[in-house]
Amino acid sequence: MDSALIPKGVKRCPLWQFLLFIGAVGIVLLWGVYAMLLCWFKGLNQTNMNDYYGFALWIWADLAVIAVGGGAFFTGLLRYIFGKDELKNIINYAVLIGFICYSSALLILAIDIGQPLRGWFIFWHANVHSMLTEVAFCLSCYFGVLTIEYLPLVLENRQIDKVPFFHHLGHNMHEIMAVFAATGAFLSFFHQGSLGGVAGVLFGRPFAYREGVFIWPWTFFLFTWSAAACGPCFTILVTKITEKVTRKKLVKDNAIELLAKISGWMILTYIIAKTVDTWYWATVTAPSKGFTLMEFYSNNALYGIWILVAEILICGYIPAFILITKKGRKNPLGVWIAIILAVIGVCLNRWVMVLQVMAVPVMTFDHWALYYPSWQEVATTILPVAYGVILIAISYRYLPVFPNEAEMNPIEPLPEEAAAIEPSMAPEQELTPAEA
Amino acid sequence: MKNNLNHRFGMVIDLDKCTGCGSCMVACMAENNVPFRKDESDKLLSITWMRVFRLNNGKPFPETDICYLPRPCMQCAGLHEGHSPCVSVCPATATDYGMETGIVSQIYTRCFGCRYCMASCPYHSRYFNWWDPIWPDGMEKYLSPNVSPRMRGVVEKCSFCYHRYQLAKDKAFMDGGRELKENEYQTACTQACPANAITFGDLNNPDHAVHRMVKPDLEHGGRPQNPHAFRLLERLGTNPKVYYLSSRKWIRHAGDNYLKNEAKMKKPVHHG
Amino acid sequence: MKIGRREFLSFVIGGAAGTALSPLPWKLMDDSSIWTQMWPWTPVPENGEASYVNSVCTLCPGRCGITVRKIDDRAVKIEGMKKYPVNDGGLCLLGLSGLQLLYGPTRIKGPLKRSGKRGQGDWERISWKEAISEIVEKLGELREKGRPQSVGAISGSDRGTVPRLLERLLTAYGSPNFFRMASVRDSYELTLDIMQGVQALPGFDFENADFILSFGSDILEGWGSPVQMMRVNSAWKSAGVKVIQIEPRLSNTAAKSDKWIPINPGTEAALAMGLAHVIIKELLYDNGFISADTSRFDDWKQLVIDEYSPDSVAAVTGIDAGTIVVLARRFANASKPMAICGRGDGTHPVSLTECMAVHALNALTGNINKKGGIFAVSDPDYIHWPEIEMDSTAAVGMQHDRLDGAGSRKYPHSRYLLNRLPESILSKALYPLEALFIADANPLYTLTDTQDTGKAFEKIPLVVSFSSFMDETARHADLILPNHVYLERYEDVPMPFGMLQQAVGLARPVVEPQLDTRHVGDVIIETAKGLGGSVATSFPWKTYYLCLKETLGEKWQAMVVNGFWSGSKSIDQALKTSFDTASGKFEFVDPNTGLKPQFKPVQIKGDERQFPLLLMPYDSIRLAHGYIGDPPFMVKTVEDIVLKHNDVFVEVNPKTARAAGLNDGQRALLGTPLGTAKVRVRLFEGIMPGIVALPRGLGHTAYDDYLAGKGINVNTLIGPVEDPDSGMNAAWGIRAKLSKI
Ligand SMILES: Nc1nc2c(c(=O)[nH]1)N[C@H]1C(S)=C(S)[C@@H](COP(=O)(O)OP(=O)(O)OC[C@H]3O[C@@H](n4cnc5c(=O)[nH]c(N)nc54)[C@H](O)[C@@H]3O)O[C@H]1N2
Ligand SMILES: Nc1nc2c(c(=O)[nH]1)N[C@H]1C(S)=C(S)[C@@H](COP(=O)(O)OP(=O)(O)OC[C@H]3O[C@@H](n4cnc5c(=O)[nH]c(N)nc54)[C@H](O)[C@@H]3O)O[C@H]1N2
Ligand code: SF4
Ligand code: SF4
Ligand code: SF4
Ligand code: SF4
Ligand code: SF4
Ligand SMILES: [Mo]
Repeated sequence: MDSALIPKGVKRCPLWQFLLFIGAVGIVLLWGVYAMLLCWFKGLNQTNMNDYYGFALWIWADLAVIAVGGGAFFTGLLRYIFGKDELKNIINYAVLIGFICYSSALLILAIDIGQPLRGWFIFWHANVHSMLTEVAFCLSCYFGVLTIEYLPLVLENRQIDKVPFFHHLGHNMHEIMAVFAATGAFLSFFHQGSLGGVAGVLFGRPFAYREGVFIWPWTFFLFTWSAAACGPCFTILVTKITEKVTRKKLVKDNAIELLAKISGWMILTYIIAKTVDTWYWATVTAPSKGFTLMEFYSNNALYGIWILVAEILICGYIPAFILITKKGRKNPLGVWIAIILAVIGVCLNRWVMVLQVMAVPVMTFDHWALYYPSWQEVATTILPVAYGVILIAISYRYLPVFPNEAEMNPIEPLPEEAAAIEPSMAPEQELTPAEA
Repeated sequence: MKNNLNHRFGMVIDLDKCTGCGSCMVACMAENNVPFRKDESDKLLSITWMRVFRLNNGKPFPETDICYLPRPCMQCAGLHEGHSPCVSVCPATATDYGMETGIVSQIYTRCFGCRYCMASCPYHSRYFNWWDPIWPDGMEKYLSPNVSPRMRGVVEKCSFCYHRYQLAKDKAFMDGGRELKENEYQTACTQACPANAITFGDLNNPDHAVHRMVKPDLEHGGRPQNPHAFRLLERLGTNPKVYYLSSRKWIRHAGDNYLKNEAKMKKPVHHG
Repeated sequence: MKIGRREFLSFVIGGAAGTALSPLPWKLMDDSSIWTQMWPWTPVPENGEASYVNSVCTLCPGRCGITVRKIDDRAVKIEGMKKYPVNDGGLCLLGLSGLQLLYGPTRIKGPLKRSGKRGQGDWERISWKEAISEIVEKLGELREKGRPQSVGAISGSDRGTVPRLLERLLTAYGSPNFFRMASVRDSYELTLDIMQGVQALPGFDFENADFILSFGSDILEGWGSPVQMMRVNSAWKSAGVKVIQIEPRLSNTAAKSDKWIPINPGTEAALAMGLAHVIIKELLYDNGFISADTSRFDDWKQLVIDEYSPDSVAAVTGIDAGTIVVLARRFANASKPMAICGRGDGTHPVSLTECMAVHALNALTGNINKKGGIFAVSDPDYIHWPEIEMDSTAAVGMQHDRLDGAGSRKYPHSRYLLNRLPESILSKALYPLEALFIADANPLYTLTDTQDTGKAFEKIPLVVSFSSFMDETARHADLILPNHVYLERYEDVPMPFGMLQQAVGLARPVVEPQLDTRHVGDVIIETAKGLGGSVATSFPWKTYYLCLKETLGEKWQAMVVNGFWSGSKSIDQALKTSFDTASGKFEFVDPNTGLKPQFKPVQIKGDERQFPLLLMPYDSIRLAHGYIGDPPFMVKTVEDIVLKHNDVFVEVNPKTARAAGLNDGQRALLGTPLGTAKVRVRLFEGIMPGIVALPRGLGHTAYDDYLAGKGINVNTLIGPVEDPDSGMNAAWGIRAKLSKI
């Protein structure tokens, strides 16, 4: 009976197969929920965090999902503000992935703070000087924007759309989507940036500290830039994985290629800026505090110089060069390698800017402590992944996420179904959110 | 930085006198209702508003030398008054800079436990309550009503025994609103130190011992002018109000990071 | 229904505004935040009237004055008493943790009688009446059988009215077996007795001394009265007084001293003799004092010159000859040099000849009984009780030799030799010990060779503990008659070891007794009355309180007001009475026995080939290792390089560790002739190669979960070694080996 919910003109797997899949991922989700409840009811002692690792796996996951979720705002920006029409085929999915990333980020934050029931103090007693305040405001607002961007897609479900109220609501929302896309881009610029500012303003921590302009340290701009650069790679990555899993072509190559190309140039410019920033920090900022570069990358078992090489050279320049060349973009393996490296690169950057920042000893008699996450941390970090997979699976099954799917994967309609297609619906069906 | 505080309460710790006994740590725990657990040997989880670090000159037997360094909260002023590393970052204004005293406060009931302030503090002065504080049956009796016990999930730190300032001020107010005398507001650790290694007072007040001991250059961030005095991580611009005295060069050198060409002395290492 | 853009926007905005304006979300948020601030399991201390009570801390022999802050009837903070002669406001971390003992979980709630096997921890609560009649009955029985001498008592101290009442009970009853816990005080008492002919304690005029030569005395780890010594040390820093620390390990004292001279363990006396050699050879000694006030200098001088040249001493001590010469000159040329001894915090005696050798240095510089020097001081003489009435049973009982051999022909000068008691019981050489009372002591934990001590205790049919806490000894007792803790009781507290001032402090109840405990003084008096006859009449007081008040006489009022009574600084008086030898002079050689200051190596246990290393205990101010164990606050201050979870670290020089193939943090087996223990290795450049060191104060099996089970008790690995001249335990360590697990 769920066939009534499935969009017209596309083929989906049998319901039992779908439920089996959801069930399997659901078990992982429940494991995460259990760990989450443990953290809420018993407190953060369930984690292996400590006073030297007050920011740990979760905050990394938080920053990482926000970074890779940057595909949503940047694709929206390209599509609506810069008018890159090819991207209309991927914008829905970009929004969905963004929605998942941002809702996950908020969920992780709600587990991570010591007093979840007081989380709203950040708004109520806001300290405008704090980067985290800026993050909280922009993040919440942008999540609202993403919800609004995602909602019309939900309203397009075959059955919901039949309700006139929802039909019109969806229609109206489509009409003002450009406004939200612009708002989203603006908000994203700030919260991505302020996440970078979180580390950059820590003048007590020379490893993180950066000079900048006015109240914004360089990391502010680097974070925004890197999210805009690598977020689309994540969107492409998830799209490609979805295509592999569904064994269907879902997004036209021209959209992917365009996004990849823009991403490539963004990564290149970002990584050059990052290189300059690192150079300046290593030769001017750190020495002014009495540190040499290598002091941040030695005397412990984990954080060797490899991490800097991996972040900048391997996961920065290599994907950039692959994606900016036509040859690279046309080579399927090359694209796979590039997007994976770019995603790893931005995640590695967030790890370094969170965990290593706190781990690097500053007092001469202090020491590097190392940390490994507890299972509760791992479970609650996997929780959003499971949740994302489920949300994607449901959305894909029941919502017209990929506007070109039916066109690119024609099916032989059963005779009675073909007859049942109401002519009046046809124009509406072409109305994708992107065009509304 | 301009000196525009009424009082600039500060501390001078004489490392030549400090014996590393740990009385200051315990005095602080007893004064401030600091909780304890059955295993406190993981120092990354152990709440010690005052922590006595152990420094080592890194030389082999028999040239080895050790020194103890008590570390309360430095009550950093930052580059301009109130721009403490931790105060500037707290999103919920749960920690604040006292413009009357220069003391960095911590409001436990407002803190929601994001731990950003901990990330900001290079001295590890801030501690998170990973657990509910639990006192063995009957031991709650000794808890002081002047300092509220903290709930799980919030950050706490040395307050320079702020409640003692309040009590002393109340008393002075009842006495007709007179000025506080130097000995009327003293912290619990200062009072207990068996070696008299800690001196506490108003750095702005030339009559106070702390002022005379370090001769702070108040027009320039309070840099000590006594050559034997130093502050921890002076170069970061945290501008602490806790000063240390030592006649040993390697110890003064251990107070901050230097590049090799800035000084010949070897960096000390932790423990061992 | 058709919805236009306008309707849509009003719907969204209206809906949001409507929800926001309704009180519901705000109320819920507010409630939730208030609730998180008032979790019922987070205590909220009640406010009330603040007040302060002065008393004295008796948690260690330091005896500091305290001022306890109270809120209504609760004690909330212990602070140091200002102007108290010992500590003037400062306090150590044990004293600061006192309320955790008062209100802590290890306290014994009322009299207990063992119901299971010994040490099993099964107890039956009994009434005080039953408890006392139980003792009275047993004591009466023994007395009737004519064996009063088979009753003994171990006390933490022998000074003040409480220990004296206990001793008096034994005497009136007919037993000579009153034992005091040992310390370096015993060595000093004997030294003063032999060299100066006085029954006195040393008083050190640290305030006026200008050069301190410490033979392993850890001035900052608890030697003497801990807080007082730290204050003295700080005064030295301000005044530029030089402190030279001689010991094999870089203790905190060594680190704070002006010069640390590592020495082969146990050879301190040789160094003292070597210094004497240089001083005598170079005629640096105080000729006026030596010729006018000393006797038999030449006898000793010959020995010094013949056997202790810098080169031979260098070979023994490992300190090079040049250093010895320079040190001797600096010492002798200082105007008020002072040499002191007693390893670590002085909990253990040193050999008599060692103490004499160190004291002889003070005599060479003439720095005895004068400003900046060492004085012989007697206890303040305030306890004047009526003569004990002894019936014939008591008189016969008192004729017996003490079980520990103190005062016997072999050890005529020694007063207490508790270390010999276990062996005496086990060897059955004299007579059995049939009942033992223990007050303010925890011998089953603190006596070295814990196993032997335990075995000896097993042989005693009745062990009675007065402990307030479930310590190791109380756990193995048959009856526990819990005393009030110090914050609940009255007691006179003489000034501690080493001070010059004649003073007595008053410990007084800060709070009402919290549990069904009773003052040990009252229990003694009641027991005596229960025994009847001459024992009862020797105790004419109704209660301990009345006894104390009467004993203190007119001092009482002053003590109540000031917290203490202080006499004059008895420097002049000390001078007159200090050389009460037959010659009336300072004796370098005991005229009766020929004993003289010299280096007699203490033959510590173990075969060198089997046990190539030396194990030494070390003391840390953060680890109480006597009757009182670390309260939770103190345990919290113990560094993670000393204790990690339940593992204790043994300090090893990296060279030694490398030879044994051990790395920092690695687990290892530490073996001595007495046993083996699992430890972890901590590489420490501050310890001599070939030595391993373990802290005292860990490895409790009793007390609470905050202390029990952490680390190992070093006393289980070390045994006593009898000093042939005094009978005291002169062991400074034991041979050991360290191997990989
Ligand atoms: N926090 C803190 N606490 C302290 C101090 C401190 O500095 N800080 N001060 C310390 C000071 S000054 C001292 S001296 C300690 C002492 O005080 P504690 O050690 O706390 O108390 P006692 O048990 O009375 O000390 C005597 C111990 O020596 C051992 N002993 C003595 N003689 C013999 C012997 O002949 N044979 C054997 N086998 N064992 C023997 C016994 O184990 C006996 O228990 O208190 C210490 N208490
Ligand atoms: N209860 C208990 N007793 C112990 C121990 C224990 O653990 N518990 N441990 C032992 C240890 S480790 C130590 S270090 C010792 C220390 O403690 P003790 O040696 O037992 O006692 P002190 O109080 O130091 O002795 C000094 C005495 O000299 C007196 N005095 C002070 N000034 C003068 C003066 O000017 N003239 C004269 N004539 N007398 C003066 C003081 O009043 C005091 O009575 O205690 C030992 N006894
Ligand atoms: S109490 Fe005084 S001597 Fe002891 S560790 Fe603290 S500062 Fe140092
Ligand atoms: S020491 Fe740390 S907690 Fe204290 S004021 Fe400075 S930054 Fe803040
Ligand atoms: S943990 Fe508390 S005090 Fe620290 S920054 Fe967060 S809200 Fe502020
Ligand atoms: S000033 Fe007060 S709060 Fe700070 S360390 Fe000292 S005792 Fe603790
Ligand atoms: S030194 Fe001894 S007497 Fe003084 S406070 Fe500490 S435990 Fe109490
Ligand atoms: Mo002692």
